[in-house]
Amino acid sequence: MLRSLFLFDMTFWLYLAAFTLYIAYVFVRKPALQLAAAGHPGAFTTEGDNGWAVQIGQVATIVTVFGWMMNTAALFTRAFERMQHSGTFAPWSNQFEAMAYVSWAIILGYVLLEFRYRIKTIGAFVVGIGFIAMGAASLLPYRYQTADPLVPALNSYWIYIHVSVTLTSYAAFAMAGGLGLMYLVRERAERRGQQSRLLAVLPDLETIDELGYKAIMFGFPMLAFGVILGAMWANYAWGGYWSWDPKETWSLIVWLIYGAYIHARMTRGWEGRRAAIYAVFGFLMVIFCFWGVNFLLSGLHAYA
Amino acid sequence: MSGKSEALNGQSAPRPAPGIGWNEIKAELIGFFASIKLAMFLFLIIAVAATIGTVIQQNERADVYIKEYGEEAYRWFLRLGWTDIYHTWYFTSLLALLCINSLTCFRQRFPAIWRSMHQDKVSIQLPFIKNLKQTAEIPVAGTKEGVAKGIVQYLAEKGYMVLAKNEPGEATLYATKGIMGRVGAHMAHLSATVIVTGGLIGSLYGFQEFGVCLEGQTYHIPKGSFDLRIDKFWIDYNENGSVKSYNSTLTVLEKGREMMNKTITVNDPLVYKGIWFYQSSYGDAWDQVDVARVNVKDKQTDKILQTVDLQWKKEATLDKLGLTVTLTDFVADFGFNSAEKKVYSKSVEHENPAIKLAMAERTKKSALEATPWIFYHYPDLFDIPGSRYRFELVGYQPRKFTGLQIAKDPGVNIVWVGSTMIVVGIALSSFIYHRRLWFKVIPGKDGVTVHLGGTTHKNQIDFNKEFRKLTEKIRTISV
Repeated sequence: MLRSLFLFDMTFWLYLAAFTLYIAYVFVRKPALQLAAAGHPGAFTTEGDNGWAVQIGQVATIVTVFGWMMNTAALFTRAFERMQHSGTFAPWSNQFEAMAYVSWAIILGYVLLEFRYRIKTIGAFVVGIGFIAMGAASLLPYRYQTADPLVPALNSYWIYIHVSVTLTSYAAFAMAGGLGLMYLVRERAERRGQQSRLLAVLPDLETIDELGYKAIMFGFPMLAFGVILGAMWANYAWGGYWSWDPKETWSLIVWLIYGAYIHARMTRGWEGRRAAIYAVFGFLMVIFCFWGVNFLLSGLHAYA
Repeated sequence: MSGKSEALNGQSAPRPAPGIGWNEIKAELIGFFASIKLAMFLFLIIAVAATIGTVIQQNERADVYIKEYGEEAYRWFLRLGWTDIYHTWYFTSLLALLCINSLTCFRQRFPAIWRSMHQDKVSIQLPFIKNLKQTAEIPVAGTKEGVAKGIVQYLAEKGYMVLAKNEPGEATLYATKGIMGRVGAHMAHLSATVIVTGGLIGSLYGFQEFGVCLEGQTYHIPKGSFDLRIDKFWIDYNENGSVKSYNSTLTVLEKGREMMNKTITVNDPLVYKGIWFYQSSYGDAWDQVDVARVNVKDKQTDKILQTVDLQWKKEATLDKLGLTVTLTDFVADFGFNSAEKKVYSKSVEHENPAIKLAMAERTKKSALEATPWIFYHYPDLFDIPGSRYRFELVGYQPRKFTGLQIAKDPGVNIVWVGSTMIVVGIALSSFIYHRRLWFKVIPGKDGVTVHLGGTTHKNQIDFNKEFRKLTEKIRTISV
């Protein structure tokens, strides 16, 4: 039994706790007294929490940060284990580790977002996705979770940068997907009428929309960089920078999908609801690229 | 917002008089090819085509498709080019259209951005400021020049480029930051063409071949007019028995002279004269073995008389039995071409291995020469007439071949230039956003009134924050 697996397990439980706390926070929270004046999306409501809400919110943040630290420790431990067993230290060398790394990046992104914009309700969606990623990783069969030596093709310094960059972009898209979902939830509440509690609890639509856009604007260049690094690696390992292998083709597909999104944002009518639906759709494509391709399509990346 | 107005400039330029002339058609065409809608359409349609290529396996044998999808579907696949979709005329056309699209867009929009870097933007009226997306009106105690100077100083600190105009009744300021965000977008636009050009050069002037090579052999590389000798091939294993790496030591020979020597392994190719040699695979040779173990049995008693390890093409003498045996041939998957009377290996798999012996028998009771095939799976299949003995192939050690990918791609460096452009371009346009601010400082009864307005083409949320900070700063400027 690898020591890191215990830490990954702990991470899972902490994320579950954090997720639950954020959900609780959304429900306990009293509607903020001062809503931002219409047309001033930047003027955030100072979160007018009191009593339980403040405490639950604080605990949620603390648990999230603690979970993230546990996740970091798990990845470091795994890196040491890899050093001993497999001649590399990249703790993202198989599907399980990649998933754990993605949830690490998602949670890091969320924590930064929370500290910068002070909107805790996003946690109910984004920490949720980080938790699901970690959970899906731990559901993988044990043979996927070990630190077996790498196959020769993967044994290269390219794995450090190509994989981490690409996975980071996935995390950004996951975040955008979570925000898109949040947008749709709030938008639905708005259409239902002003009485809905969710309406008062969640940040206003324009803010969610902009944050989602920002996440994609981060993920898009990261994915481009990741794909190009992959091409460079392929040029060293496979004898050609592009061979239409399912994984690389799918990362191109995902990139094209977000490319269309970014161009769409420049035209009128592609903010808000449509953009939110699109972001969720894009995230589903990312999931397929990350998981589906490995399990459903064959190709050179089949070992990942 | 301003992105849109600038983007539309090309189309909304005054068009003279009715009647459709060449200029109108040209404008329409350019408008179409430069449009964002076309870009979105191309992105998505290329994504769909690429998806088809990943769902249906590419470049497989006909029977693979027929087995999985049926004959009728396979016929459609061929008609639609779905068995090699990335090389169909329509896929190539889509890529070409994407290049045209991005180039036209660059041609259409970049000049305006370039000009705006040097343009005078301070000759504006008050209503213009009031119509901007973010506006504020702040009374400040102070003189017109003093306040304007304070604002300029603050903006300069924040990295803005500021233009100022001082007139008797008012002072006007224009400040801008982050134009590189827009330049970056167009850098990315150009990169599409650069990458496609690099790819095109590669496919026209490059090549990719696969070579199955055996240790100790020298192979001529016609496309490089030099020779390649395989000095050594070996496999390293991990503790748990899995393959760690496989390696070939190669020597480049030119007219018999050793030019270069390198041990290649996966992820570490040899490059000579622009030709790359990759360690791509390895396997068991299908036409050679290093050594084969053979039992010599007495035909009558079926007793093993002797077990001998035969080296490839080396004569072995069994004095006791009066035999000389040579291992002369091997096939991994025995096949017989009856038209040419030739033995060959049906596949590279070791499905039905067989060795050929050349034997000479000189005993008291028999004297003969024969060249029998001995089958691993069917030891009793063939009898050697007149011989006292029967041979049994017990095992063999196939020679390992090293699979080398041999490739040349003169376009690859162009692709890297394009790649750098796309990554830098997208990063610039994602992380830097173009902001513009206008101020008018108008003296009033006590102090001045600062009218300010600003706009950005994206990242509203951070811009709003910045704008709020700016207004607070101006309020405190007073002294």
